[in-house]
Amino acid sequence: MTTDMQAIDLEPGRGSGTQSPAGLRTIALRRLRHDPISMIAFGILVLLVLAAIFGGPLAAKLTGHGPNEQFANALASNSLPLGIGQRTYLANGTTHNPHGSLFILGADALGRDELVRVLYGARISLLVATSATALALVIGISLGLLAGYRGGWVDAVVNRLTETAMAFPNLLLAVGLAVVVGPGLLNVVIIIALFTWYYPARIVRGATIATKQMTFVAAARTVGARPRRILLVHLLPQVWGPLLVYGTSIIANNIIFEAGLSYLGVGVPPPTASWGQMLSDAVTSGFYQADFALALIPGLALVLTMLAFNLLGDGIRDALDPRTAR
Amino acid sequence: MRRIVANRLLGALVQVLVVTLLAWLLFYVIARFTGASPAQRIAGKNASAAQVALVSRLLGLNKPYWEQYLIFLNHLIHGNFGFSYVQMRPVSAILWPATRATASLVLGAAVIWLLIAAPVGAYGGLRPRSVGDVVGRAVAILGMSIPVFWLAPMISYFLGYQPTQGDLLGLRILPVGTSIFPINGYVDFGQNPVQWAYHLLLPWITLAIGFAAIYIRFIRTLTAEQLSEDYARTAKAKGASTLRVLVRHVGRNVAPTVSVLLGADIATALTGVFFVETVFGIPGLGYTGLSAIENLDYPVITGVIIVAALIAVLANTIVDLLHAVLDPRLRRVAATH
Repeated sequence: MTTDMQAIDLEPGRGSGTQSPAGLRTIALRRLRHDPISMIAFGILVLLVLAAIFGGPLAAKLTGHGPNEQFANALASNSLPLGIGQRTYLANGTTHNPHGSLFILGADALGRDELVRVLYGARISLLVATSATALALVIGISLGLLAGYRGGWVDAVVNRLTETAMAFPNLLLAVGLAVVVGPGLLNVVIIIALFTWYYPARIVRGATIATKQMTFVAAARTVGARPRRILLVHLLPQVWGPLLVYGTSIIANNIIFEAGLSYLGVGVPPPTASWGQMLSDAVTSGFYQADFALALIPGLALVLTMLAFNLLGDGIRDALDPRTAR
Repeated sequence: MRRIVANRLLGALVQVLVVTLLAWLLFYVIARFTGASPAQRIAGKNASAAQVALVSRLLGLNKPYWEQYLIFLNHLIHGNFGFSYVQMRPVSAILWPATRATASLVLGAAVIWLLIAAPVGAYGGLRPRSVGDVVGRAVAILGMSIPVFWLAPMISYFLGYQPTQGDLLGLRILPVGTSIFPINGYVDFGQNPVQWAYHLLLPWITLAIGFAAIYIRFIRTLTAEQLSEDYARTAKAKGASTLRVLVRHVGRNVAPTVSVLLGADIATALTGVFFVETVFGIPGLGYTGLSAIENLDYPVITGVIIVAALIAVLANTIVDLLHAVLDPRLRRVAATH
């Protein structure tokens, strides 16, 4: 959603990172470090990455509950799962067993530990979102550089392609593709990349057009640099600034994209824990009305992650913008 | 003006062709290489070999690809979206009422998000760093961060379900069995307009919040930019009231840009209906599409995607034409070419 607004801001020359990278980078970093909100957002993201890498296995080891392990005594006799901070039921499923194992965030409808699954879900979310972003960046940067540098019909084709792609409800086509190719981790990554590469492509194209008229590019051409060298050595380093501004929101959008696909049942296949899947398990069965925490917890995880990415993205944009008075 | 309209309609036609080509490639060509054959998928999991052969012959699936696409396109032009062997009904009979429900949902939501975003965004642009602006921006960034598929169950739970249990936002202040908003269901506009709006109010708000957040930020930036222009200062200097400057002067310059964004976002909002409609039980395209995905009802999935994409093309075209009406500069540029 956020990306719709960015499309407007991508006019060539507006990418302020292209002017004097070294000086601006230092200033921007200093500004960013003195912005408490950005630093809090950054801290949350660091915690999230740590939780994604170490949190799952650690929680599984401490609680003794695997992410996909089902516990019959985590369900009451009326098949309602444990709530937050409760211990397992006795064998007849009526009263809590004071010596049973603790489910810190309760259990889901199948008797799996919610905390362990949320942490493993963070891993899937970040893994899918970052690899899809990386793939989209590779496609987008290549096409954007090519279109911006070559101009002419290459530019026209790429431009048409990105414009058409942006006008369509891409989640819809992604769902169609996912239905046809079937669920799978790698499939999800490729599908997300296929429907998000045009944002970086437009950004890079704009930055390339703005940069290629500069004297140092002409100088490189004069001393006999071939197009490949100009593209990779001279132009590519210049596009990182503008890309960075939007990079955070691209990752954030991809997290939502993955969760949305999983929510619709065409994303990461079960039983692998993912936030979208956990949410849809609770919601599509109407189960959240019986046990609200099951819809609350993965949703809060998503909102917190998105908020951190959006706040950091705003911070980086303000820090890189020379017009912002501080 | 006529040239703009003709150009834009030609563009829309190309987009429609691209959409149908993509959908066809997806479900008839790519589908061939991933599991069951298209004919098998269309006929359904339990179809006999004879049924599959019949479907294959009806849709010309053993002819060359280009001929298959023309047959597919020809069927679409005649409003024939195929036959759902899961529901045992023609797909067009399933899609038509669903399209009406979805159009009600998306267009109503667009009105609501504009009604929220215009005043909040304009105020933020007028008084940057004021309390109202800071609060507005904080709410906006929160609104941007809440995925619609989480917001929908939350709103349905707190405003739809909990009042029936005697709670309002966690306070036990209502008699048990109160129903402030219907939890789900849909009433057609033609049947009862009041009930139609009443049933759609929560879904509208749910779908609108994320977009309202984006538009608050967008309108804020645009308003601030325009207010620093000379013409705005002139208007202020000659004694026009703030409201008049905002509405008559700045508004006219902001509206065309916002309208362009609106076209793309109505297309984006169409993906939100998947989540909103299932939670609130609105029998629209999203609801139909999701149950079709669960039942692997391929003709319906194909139909939902095509119709939604066509709505997106239509919305984009209308908004672009509206843009030409709102922005006289565009007409003049086109006329000189």
